[in-house]
Amino acid sequence: MVEGFRPADLQEALEFMAKHPSIPIAGGTDLMIQKARGFGLKPDFNKPLLFIGHLRELRQISVRNGNIHIGASVLLNELIKNDKIPEALKMAVRQMASPPSRNLATIGGNICNASPAGDTLPYLYAADAFLVLKSSQAERKIPVGKFITGPGKTTLKSDELLTEIIIPDKVFSANYYKKVGTRKGMSLSKASFTGLADIESEKITDIRIAFGSVAPTIVRSREIEASIIGKPVSEIKNAVPEIVKKFAPLIRPIDDARSSAEYRKQVSLRLLENFLMKLT
Amino acid sequence: MKIEFILNDKKRVIQVDPASRLLDILRDDFELTSVKEGCGEGECGACVVLMDGKAVNSCLIPAGLIEGRHIVTMEGFRKTERYKVIEESFLKAGSVQCGFCTPGIVMSTESLLRENPLPSEEEIKEALSGNLCRCTGYNMIFEGIKLAAERGKGLW
Amino acid sequence: MKDSISKPITRVDAPAKISGAAKYIGDIHFENQLFAKTVRSDKPKAKIVSIKTPSLPDGYYIIDKNDIPGINRMRTVVSDHPIFADDEVNYIGQPILLVVGPEREKIYEIVSQIKIEYKDESAVFSIEEAEEKGTVFTEYSYSKGEPEAAFHDAVKIIEDEYHTGLQEHVYLEPQGITGEYKDETMFIYGSMQCPFYVKGAIQDVLGWDSDRIRIIQSITGGAFGGKEEFPSLMACQVAVASLKTKRPVQMIYDRDEDIICSTKRHPSIVHYKAGLGKSNQVIVLNIDIIFDAGAYSELSPVVLQRGMFSATGVYNFPHLSVRGRNFMTNNVPSGAYRGFGAPQTIFGTEMLMHNIAVKLGVDPLKYKINHLIKRGDPTCTGGKIRDEVKLLEIIEKVEKMSGYRRKIERRKKFKGIGVSLFLHGCGFTGKGEATIKGKIILKKNGDTVILKVSSVEMGQGAETCLRKIVAHTLSLPMEKVICETIDTGLIPDSGPTVASRTTMIVGGLLRQASLELKDCWNEANEIEISKTYKHPDFLSWDDDKFVGDAYPTYSWGANVAEVEIDSLTYEINVKKISAVYDVGVPIDEKMLRGQMQGGIVQSIGWATIEVMNSSKGKLAQHNLTDYKIPTSMDVPEIACKFIENPYEFGPFGAKCAGELPSAGAPPAVAAAVSNALGIPIKSIPLTPEYLMEIDKHED
Ligand SMILES: Cc1cc2nc3c(=O)[nH]c(=O)nc-3n(C[C@H](O)[C@H](O)[C@H](O)COP(=O)(O)OP(=O)(O)OC[C@H]3O[C@@H](n4cnc5c(N)ncnc54)[C@H](O)[C@@H]3O)c2cc1C
Ligand code: FES
Ligand code: FES
Repeated sequence: MVEGFRPADLQEALEFMAKHPSIPIAGGTDLMIQKARGFGLKPDFNKPLLFIGHLRELRQISVRNGNIHIGASVLLNELIKNDKIPEALKMAVRQMASPPSRNLATIGGNICNASPAGDTLPYLYAADAFLVLKSSQAERKIPVGKFITGPGKTTLKSDELLTEIIIPDKVFSANYYKKVGTRKGMSLSKASFTGLADIESEKITDIRIAFGSVAPTIVRSREIEASIIGKPVSEIKNAVPEIVKKFAPLIRPIDDARSSAEYRKQVSLRLLENFLMKLT
Repeated sequence: MKIEFILNDKKRVIQVDPASRLLDILRDDFELTSVKEGCGEGECGACVVLMDGKAVNSCLIPAGLIEGRHIVTMEGFRKTERYKVIEESFLKAGSVQCGFCTPGIVMSTESLLRENPLPSEEEIKEALSGNLCRCTGYNMIFEGIKLAAERGKGLW
Repeated sequence: MKDSISKPITRVDAPAKISGAAKYIGDIHFENQLFAKTVRSDKPKAKIVSIKTPSLPDGYYIIDKNDIPGINRMRTVVSDHPIFADDEVNYIGQPILLVVGPEREKIYEIVSQIKIEYKDESAVFSIEEAEEKGTVFTEYSYSKGEPEAAFHDAVKIIEDEYHTGLQEHVYLEPQGITGEYKDETMFIYGSMQCPFYVKGAIQDVLGWDSDRIRIIQSITGGAFGGKEEFPSLMACQVAVASLKTKRPVQMIYDRDEDIICSTKRHPSIVHYKAGLGKSNQVIVLNIDIIFDAGAYSELSPVVLQRGMFSATGVYNFPHLSVRGRNFMTNNVPSGAYRGFGAPQTIFGTEMLMHNIAVKLGVDPLKYKINHLIKRGDPTCTGGKIRDEVKLLEIIEKVEKMSGYRRKIERRKKFKGIGVSLFLHGCGFTGKGEATIKGKIILKKNGDTVILKVSSVEMGQGAETCLRKIVAHTLSLPMEKVICETIDTGLIPDSGPTVASRTTMIVGGLLRQASLELKDCWNEANEIEISKTYKHPDFLSWDDDKFVGDAYPTYSWGANVAEVEIDSLTYEINVKKISAVYDVGVPIDEKMLRGQMQGGIVQSIGWATIEVMNSSKGKLAQHNLTDYKIPTSMDVPEIACKFIENPYEFGPFGAKCAGELPSAGAPPAVAAAVSNALGIPIKSIPLTPEYLMEIDKHED
């Protein structure tokens, strides 16, 4: 039997982590499946479980100094209902998992699980989100792209918790999101695309492009984005083939039970093209 | 781990492995067999129960998470007025075939109507998207839910 | 005036299912029960060199081939599947032994310590490969007219090939059986379609007289053919385990395990060679059907037969030759699945007709109408279409409901409409009904009537339907007409619950018995009437030559599908299905609508999103995360109507229904997709991956 610990507050949780190697569990929707062994059997955990879903400090959503702060244990369904959450994030979350599992699953869990198919990630990458990671001794704040290093891999230390996600409270004039799953209800992404842009006086003043499920981590290129910024909208149409060509080598999907590498790549580039054309 | 929670309106204290699935606790320890296991991976919704009034997959929930929560299964819910309306409506609409998905669907229906007493067809489809049914093709379940919303006006 | 039989009533089994009170096998705990877990082959083909098992704690057992007192084979059409592997395995997932004991955790620990050493052998992984190597299980053929001469006369010859994939049933309740050896008798409880199949299988395996075996069906959470033959295998295993342990043994599958080892719909390739006459009419057709039967033959011969006899669909081709072959591969065995081989061949033929029409530049529906079979025509096997065929009425209705004419003329890229016409042969194929000779008993007891039948309720509404037939005949309220428990010790063998035969055949016997009972109702307080099926004399069938009436009659249908395809991602959105069926007379209009809608959605799944690939004998999709069936968000609007066409020998004029919808939606959707993209479709599932690929090549 594994041990379980339900801290009273965040401080107690961090102190417990400092002393005991343990597994933080928020909603459990990823962990319970990863460790599942079959009907009537307990999932197989080799370390004590630290329950963090109930911690009040991790369940807040607030706007401060032009930033939206989302607690790591905020449920996916709560994100959908909260009016502080940007529409572009809601678009992604509404298509995640299913209504009953969204009453369990958390945003922090989705980030820390670090799946290439994690559906909050493309938006968080595109929005330049920062993560706050705390241990009993220290606190650090890093961009989401620096936190996730590979499929299921992060720079999370064994005594750290993700406490907060910070998103600059910026409204984009163009929000584009498309998830390609096997069916309309409840499916993991074969590919997903997030595009955000600002247009002022017929010029692209900001653009963010992120691809999910097509590489070990989310694909975003500031370099390519920078090459688009400043372009008059009227020039986009002609620039599309060039932009698509630049992104193509970054899209490196795999064949698996859900789709093929070829399809994933094609679809991702078509969505990119479609997004760009919509700006014109 | 010692867990205290409310199950179908009764306070319960249990000593369990914190990783035990709520599904097994309900079925094995409390013999609440309305809660079905169709997949054990959050995909089918046969195991859906209410936690603090909201539909959740009991196969995904570790015991440590239910501390202080209010869990309701069909065994508790079927005593309510709202259940009676859902039952009548499902009977009338022909929403049931093999029945294995049905308790989970009733739980999702209750969760939906609590939040949204007069859902549109689109909202019904969305709310049921975590409950697989292989028999009916769903349309007659949608009819059952619409009927329940109409007949039960004021109950939710 | 009496209400029509079609007027909907409340399903008798629904209240307990809605409230959650209904007990399925996994909900029933037996005193002192043990659990069983199967150890399976992880090799597609190998000799078992050795099996090393750990020393077992008290109360734990290993059950294998050495514990079988009788024959180590599961009784079915071809009794070739070992209950436990002898010394070789032929597919990944083949059962080798059981570990049985009181605690699940301990059982899993023991399972993880069992080491099996194999010697690999070369395996066959696909039908194409099997065809090359010639690993044939069964081969049949039949012909009509003079195909060779007709090809000579043909002005144009078209050849084409059509593919369909695996389909998993995904009955929501996974397979489960409990065996209890008690008082010198073996009791089997569980989720199943065919209690008497299970009984026969247990008889062989235990080598016992049939009176020491009792099979009791528990509430069954969906089946669709998946619980036709497969439960026999599990039942034999737990029976042997219970006999050895002298305790009840329960075996309930996980979803993963269920998907890995249970039977599936046969993958198929159907090759056509069509000869067209001067008016572009198909005058001769060569159909070559191959099915992947998997590692064991089991039911495959009869699945193939239905596939072959349905292959001409609703058409009358003057000259015909049909060959069918089942191939052995080292894949999981294929078995019964709603439609039983017919949806595969009907898909091919419907798409062939569609594609020929498009090639000729004529409207597919008009082209199809030119070939329709009529009353009095010979069937493909030289039998006779005796009853009225109302296809034109069906087509007219479905055209009106869908606006087909109008929409087909306004074709836009990525938006499409397609039509399918189809049939289902009612009851068993060929001599099946004559051999089985289903029996029923109707018993009056005071003011109550008890039905004794072996047709099970598995969600399709059999109990309500059969009770309704009797209640309606005797003008009794439903509560006064009850069904005896499905316990082979208490009921006669009315045959298995398969082949859409329950209403027409078993219901037909009940209707006859009720009419007799009505006549003598006042003669006594207790009256028992039994009936045995008698095959009508006018039906003839030669099982060696495949000549005669393959089916006593047919149900018919037409579907129109409307689709939209995402121009960027090629995802298919099935917007609407309009469906019209002739099932004789619906016994309960609402219940039947439920059957049709469920069948439509299930077969749309097969045609679009249900992808199951096996690579080197291993299924790539073995859970519900990867094998996707339609959710509530994926279903189209469905308009469904029935036309009446009473069948003389069916109860209240009813024919068969349950499997009919499975053949309709796939070709309708495929035709709509073909229409939307302007390309021929020859294979399902229509994944966006596949569509993007073929659309590219067409450009
Ligand atoms: C049926 C089903 C469908 C799904 N569909 C989707 C989908 O469409 N899209 C998608 O992206 N995902 C999907 N998922 C995956 C999953 O639901 C999400 O990733 C979810 O957001 C995880 O949150 P959780 O709280 O349940 O995670 P948990 O399982 O609790 O945790 C996941 C991981 O994160 C760690 N962790 C959690 N919180 C913290 C923290 N604050 N600090 C440090 N580490 C932490 C845990 O230790 C664990 O390693 C699905 C899952 C299921 C079961
Ligand atoms: S058993 Fe929980 S979702 Fe299927
Ligand atoms: S009624 Fe059988 S799964 Fe829904």
